[in-house]
Amino acid sequence: MDSDYLELRLGDLLDRLSADGLAPGGGSAAALTVAFSARLVTMVARCSVGWDEAAGVCAQANAIGERAVELAHTDGHVWEDALAALRDAGSGGVEDPKRDFALERKLEAAAAAPLEIASLGADAASLAALAAEHGDATYRADAAAAAALAAGGASAAAHLVRVNLGIRNADPRLGRALASEQAAQDVAARLLEPRR
Amino acid sequence: MSGYSSLTDAELVRRCRADDPDAWNELVERYSRYVYAIAVRGFRMSDEDAEDVFQDVFTRIYTRLDSLRDDSALRPWIAQLTRRRCLDAIAAKRDVPVEDVTEEGSSDLSEVEEAYEVREALSGLSDACQDILDRFFTRDQSYKTIADELEIPSGTIASRIARCLSRLRNELEAKN
Repeated sequence: MDSDYLELRLGDLLDRLSADGLAPGGGSAAALTVAFSARLVTMVARCSVGWDEAAGVCAQANAIGERAVELAHTDGHVWEDALAALRDAGSGGVEDPKRDFALERKLEAAAAAPLEIASLGADAASLAALAAEHGDATYRADAAAAAALAAGGASAAAHLVRVNLGIRNADPRLGRALASEQAAQDVAARLLEPRR
Repeated sequence: MSGYSSLTDAELVRRCRADDPDAWNELVERYSRYVYAIAVRGFRMSDEDAEDVFQDVFTRIYTRLDSLRDDSALRPWIAQLTRRRCLDAIAAKRDVPVEDVTEEGSSDLSEVEEAYEVREALSGLSDACQDILDRFFTRDQSYKTIADELEIPSGTIASRIARCLSRLRNELEAKN
């Protein structure tokens, strides 16, 4: 788990994802999907000669991609911690307020990572929209693909916030995750629609 | 922004030579992170050792400022003082002659220089640009958070950042 995902060959990363271990799991995969999306936007911007904002969009897309890769690591770590704490709590039997508090803190941390991933997904989609609108038309399909990936990553992350961590519907974090998911999906739906 | 922060290095040096305490405060403020970054990032020194270097470098600047030949060359002079002091400290710690200490992390030193140049160029941008770049690149804020806090439409944030980056590039090119 500790080796940097960027140092792994793609095949090794996929093997690790499908291995019978704890991490990387859904959160890390969602984060890496957002990273793919961001890098696609970088590509579109780089290929869009004459677009004034291209360099600035590249810089932002790279920053989003780097944050997403960091979150892929973070999500794996915090999820493993939370899972270990859940198992510990399940095997104890007797009520233990100190242990329950520690478990709650770990679940909080595990909720924070997918929440950020969803937010990054919305940002990547927003950049993809810019690239589709102002970038070289030759690469518009790549910008649309980037938006679709961003929306996928955001949706998966929002789902993890909602289901895996047992957050209640009234929790504002869930509202933020769903808003990010919706924002990314709106962009993707718009860009994927066939142009007339 | 105090009046001193807009002074050029050469003007600042002249005021320091005239024993203006506010000028000395500005000099320390302007270069403290730079000296510290060279020690920690360029020479991988511990916080404690970097603190010693920091104290020593600023003492030397204070006592030797008159030996600076070109007032506008303050930064390279400080960089040289800091590098020498770092090499001395590492040699003393390893108990070897200073000639035997190789300069490690030279790429990090150039990164420190680059970061300093960017910081200088940033100060030439509008407050609004400085703020939005800081929020996105330093504080890792999302477009939505930036939009909510600045009360501007979320869909315009990425373009605003791109335009500010373009101005930053112009500033950097003008300085070089």
